[in-house]
Amino acid sequence: MEYQAENAVIEDIKSIFKNAEYKIKSERRVEVKLSSDEIIDFAYKMQKDWDFPHLSAISCVDWIDDNEFELVYHFWSYNRKVIVSAKVRIPREDEPHYTSISHLWQPAKFFERDIHEMFGIVFDGNDDMEKFILTEWKGEPPMRKDFITREYALNHFHFKDYHPDWLKELENAGEQK
Amino acid sequence: MKQKITQRSAWDRILAKLNKRSLWMLHYCTGCGAIELPPTMTARFDMERFGIVPMVTPRQADILLITGYLSIKTLKRIILSYEQMQAPKWVVGFGSCTINGGMYWNSYTTIKRLDMYLPVEIYIAGCMPRPEAIIQSFDTLINRIDKGVANSWKDYYTNYDFYRKNQEKVFGEIETYNDIKSDAEKFGIK
Repeated sequence: MEYQAENAVIEDIKSIFKNAEYKIKSERRVEVKLSSDEIIDFAYKMQKDWDFPHLSAISCVDWIDDNEFELVYHFWSYNRKVIVSAKVRIPREDEPHYTSISHLWQPAKFFERDIHEMFGIVFDGNDDMEKFILTEWKGEPPMRKDFITREYALNHFHFKDYHPDWLKELENAGEQK
Repeated sequence: MKQKITQRSAWDRILAKLNKRSLWMLHYCTGCGAIELPPTMTARFDMERFGIVPMVTPRQADILLITGYLSIKTLKRIILSYEQMQAPKWVVGFGSCTINGGMYWNSYTTIKRLDMYLPVEIYIAGCMPRPEAIIQSFDTLINRIDKGVANSWKDYYTNYDFYRKNQEKVFGEIETYNDIKSDAEKFGIK
C-alpha cells in the first residue's frame, strides 16, 4: 500500500487532534495545520507517545498580507521514517508572544532565539532571549517582510562613486596617448 | 602619477630594505576570498619567495589581508586585531566586497567601504582576484615600502577621529584596548 507509514502517522494524529488539517506532501513528508493553542500538547504527544524524538528545526514565515506569522515545527522519527511539519499561525504584531517548547526539546532554545532575533517573536518559557547571531544589531528584526534591506543599506552605509572625476581625467589622459 | 618622495635618512632606507623582504601576513580570513590563499601560499605561486608567510598572531604580523565581505560582527574583530598589530602595518583590501560592497551591496549586515573604517594601502579588484593578482599586489606593496610611500598606516593615527566616528556609527559605543593617541606620540605622528 502506498504511503503506509505516512497514513499511520496521520491516523495517530487524527485520534487526538480532530480539528487539524492533514496533507501528505510527498513520500515521508506530512503536513499538519494546527490551531495556535495546540502546539504544546502536539509536541508532547509527538515526543512521548508517537516516537518522534528529533526536532529538526523551527522555521518562521511572515505572511504580511494575511497579517500573520506562521511557525513551522519539523519533527523526524528515526523508526517511522517520516517528517511531520506542524504549522501554526499567530497574529502579526510588533512583539507577538508565543509559547516555548524548550522544556521538551533543549535545541528549541536556539531555534526560538534565532526566530526572536529575525522576526521579533517572544517565546514565553524560554529564559534565554539574548542576541544570537546578529550581536551588533540594533534595528528592527531584519527577516520581516516590511524591513526593506536595500533602503536600510543605502541609509546606513557609505558607498563609493563608481565613476569619479579623477578616474575620468585618467581615462582622458589615456585616450590622448 | 608622480609619487612625492620625501627625504629619508639612511637608517630609514635600510629599514625599508629589510622590511620589504620579511612581511608577515596575519592569517585571518573573512568571507570567501580565503580560497585563493592556499594556491598563493603553496608551491604553484609560492609567496614565500617574497618573504611573505602567514602568521597566526596579530602582534607579529605586518599585513592584514581582508579576504572578502566584512560583516559588522567581523569588522569589530578586525579592528581589534588591527590595533594590536605593531606599526608599520598595511591593510590590503581583497575583492570587490571591500571596495564597494560587491555582490553584497544591499545587505544589511555587511559594510561596503573598508577605507571608512581602516586605512587601506592597496585594493585588489575582482571577484575573485586570481593568485596572480595577489602576488602582483604584494609586489606593488614591496615597491612602495622600498620607496617609502607606503604610509597609509600613519593615517590611522592622524585621522583617528574620522575612523572612530565611522566605527561608532556602525557599532555604537565600542571598547578599545589600545590608546591610539599615545601610540601616535610614540611614533612622532600628530
